[in-house]
Amino acid sequence: MFVTALPTIATMIGANRVVRGVAITNVFGDPSRSPASEVALRRKIVERALEMLETDVEPGAVWEVA
Amino acid sequence: MQLELASYPVAEIDLESTLAGMAFADSRFAAVETAIVEPGESVRLTHVLDAAEPRVKVEDPDATFPGALGTLRRAGEGRTNRIAGAAVVACANFPAEERPLHEQEGLVDMTGPGAEHSLFSSTTNVVLSFTPTESVSNEEFESAVRETKLRVARDLAAQTVGREPLHVETFTHRLGGTEGDGLPAVALLLQLSSLGPLYEIYLYGTTLAGFQPTVINPLEVLDGALTCGEYHWAALRNPTYHFQNSALVRGLLAADGKRLRFAGVIACRGYNQSANDKERAAMLAAKLARELSAGGAIVTTDAGGNSHTDTMLTVRACEQAGIRTVAIVAEMGGLTDYVPEADAIVSVGNGEEYVAEWLPDRVIGGDTLLDGRPAADCGPVPVRNYLGAACQMGDLDLRAVTW
Amino acid sequence: MRAVHYLNQFFAGLGGEEAADSSPTRLEGAAGPGRGLGIEIAMTLTCGDDFFGEHEDEALVTLLRWLTDEQPDVLVCGPSFGSGRYGYACGTLAREAARRGIPTVCAMHPESPGVFAAEGAAYIVPTGTNVASMRETLPKVAALATRLAAGEELGSPQEEGYLPRGLRRNEHAGASGATRAIQMLLGKLSGETRTEVTAAFDHVAPPPPAHDLRLETLALVTEAGCVPQGNPDGLPTIRARAWLRYPIGTASSMAAGAFECVHGGFDVTAANADPNRLVPLDVVSQLVREGRIGRLHESFYTTTGNGTPVATSTKFGQEIGLELKQAGVGAVLLSGT
Repeated sequence: MFVTALPTIATMIGANRVVRGVAITNVFGDPSRSPASEVALRRKIVERALEMLETDVEPGAVWEVA
Repeated sequence: MQLELASYPVAEIDLESTLAGMAFADSRFAAVETAIVEPGESVRLTHVLDAAEPRVKVEDPDATFPGALGTLRRAGEGRTNRIAGAAVVACANFPAEERPLHEQEGLVDMTGPGAEHSLFSSTTNVVLSFTPTESVSNEEFESAVRETKLRVARDLAAQTVGREPLHVETFTHRLGGTEGDGLPAVALLLQLSSLGPLYEIYLYGTTLAGFQPTVINPLEVLDGALTCGEYHWAALRNPTYHFQNSALVRGLLAADGKRLRFAGVIACRGYNQSANDKERAAMLAAKLARELSAGGAIVTTDAGGNSHTDTMLTVRACEQAGIRTVAIVAEMGGLTDYVPEADAIVSVGNGEEYVAEWLPDRVIGGDTLLDGRPAADCGPVPVRNYLGAACQMGDLDLRAVTW
Repeated sequence: MRAVHYLNQFFAGLGGEEAADSSPTRLEGAAGPGRGLGIEIAMTLTCGDDFFGEHEDEALVTLLRWLTDEQPDVLVCGPSFGSGRYGYACGTLAREAARRGIPTVCAMHPESPGVFAAEGAAYIVPTGTNVASMRETLPKVAALATRLAAGEELGSPQEEGYLPRGLRRNEHAGASGATRAIQMLLGKLSGETRTEVTAAFDHVAPPPPAHDLRLETLALVTEAGCVPQGNPDGLPTIRARAWLRYPIGTASSMAAGAFECVHGGFDVTAANADPNRLVPLDVVSQLVREGRIGRLHESFYTTTGNGTPVATSTKFGQEIGLELKQAGVGAVLLSGT
């Protein structure tokens, strides 16, 4: 499954399980946060990705991180 | 706003003497070489950074290229003189390693098969080749090159003051455009890059970092408010000259009140770096277009890569707001990004195509290309290396079709 | 001019369906419809349609070896008309031969799976669905084959009568992009929508979900150009031609200073300060320790997704996917920039 800040490109090329990441420069992070807060965010994104891997989806599905 | 643009053909201007009288001493340069190159000469220009048309604000020459060179004064008004058929071309190789610029060579071939891939094979080019000092940084060097190039453009054009022009064009524009029976209102959403030092378009001399979509006047676009400081994606980026002579802005102004109502120009940043920033900017651009009562919009692109996502998200936001759009993009083998709402796209060419090999008699700017090959004998050249070949404001007539 | 002709078992005269499992065979000179081409055929290659379908790799190895030994000026495949298996074999062999420098001409129905299999590498003359169009097809094939063998560059699909190959080539439009954009918009506003380009990517159906990742092996893959500090294998910043794999070992985090990002398409400052921002090893390791993920695959895979042609990226994906599948990996976390 594909975590990216550019889900439109992902669905264009045919990716089926896409989670929208934070930014191009830091897909799984956010330097504006404290280290602990950033790791917590990263965990949320990864857990969302795992959830999507375990879920049946329509083609080109894009999930957000709550 | 009203702008008078007076044209003076280059053949009537003594470029050589003016150039000879100019000083280029600057602590950031080890050397500056100058050359005047004509269309049809067997010359290849390499390491081309930018090209600017010689222009001067007649009433206040010091305000030429306001903010970038001149004092801050609103562009797009009064009288501007231009040397028609000429360009000041800046060539330079950056001193320090600049990783993303590898293989982003910029070329202009004055004749041969590459000539049709750049506007600047048809202009008399005043070529400035800059060599940096040992210790100068990329950014300091770039700033000096950019300023010098604009200064030369202004000082060359200053020769026209007081002389009779060949012709004078008068442009007028008011926000909202010129009404007419059943004319559709069209907005131009103009993408301008901001990706960090060496990848910036300058608006009145400042970068678009943190920029949100903003209404600007089309006459400002034509009159030096926008200058180029971006040096990647040679074929896809927007050199200064392309803003000054924008076929799209000129075309929309000419059609205003006749085939459409030219509602206005919305400047948009390309390369917003986070997903949220991209979505927000797209939403705000579409919202502004709505506020201008636009029923249609043309969305341009600047350079390559994720700026194409900014274009597509803007298209999507406009369509969802009821504004029908046309996007202008270059292809790199195919589209870089796409949304289903982008059902009307102008393709300004495929940058991955190759132009047949050509051996110039002379090379100016640097004998070795950025990838190490000899400039005078480098084999077939990809379209992506020719300056402005696939400019995504639509200034050339190249198009990609399926074979 | 030296030409080689590929036919299936039926057209080569080996038999009908009962010979569909024939392994690759090499025949001297022309066979079947090859005799009607009117060009000199040095060798005819044949393979049963079923054999090709079920043992594709093996068939290709043999056929390509014979081809490269022969070094023909051109390869002709078919005509296969509307046939699915035969068309697929023709398209696949044509693609592989063309990529090895042998210009190839096929002839098949535009909806044959062979068109897709050829991936634009071969020139395909469109035919009807069955052998009724043989007589009109052969001269067209022969003409193109002769010119290709002579090293001639062909004109556009419309001019020359072959199927568009999906290449995007430049031409002068006769009007600037700006003029065309204004025209296109006014047309769209009056109800006539046109485009000069559309996205064309092959799509696969989403694989079924993983039952339970607590029992699965997960692999980390990235196109962010994340590499060991110093970029020991020289991964390019743009237009990468290869992907790389690096052992994770006992690392439970992508340590700053141990890894760097060489992608040339964005500012790598944040990524270099903490590479976990692109390859989330810290969090994934923790999730493995907690049992949420069964196992983490021993290596992570990396390339630079900057200016990489689609065909190259597709190849990378297939190669990495195959390796991961053979290693028993059940799920992949791919990070993109």
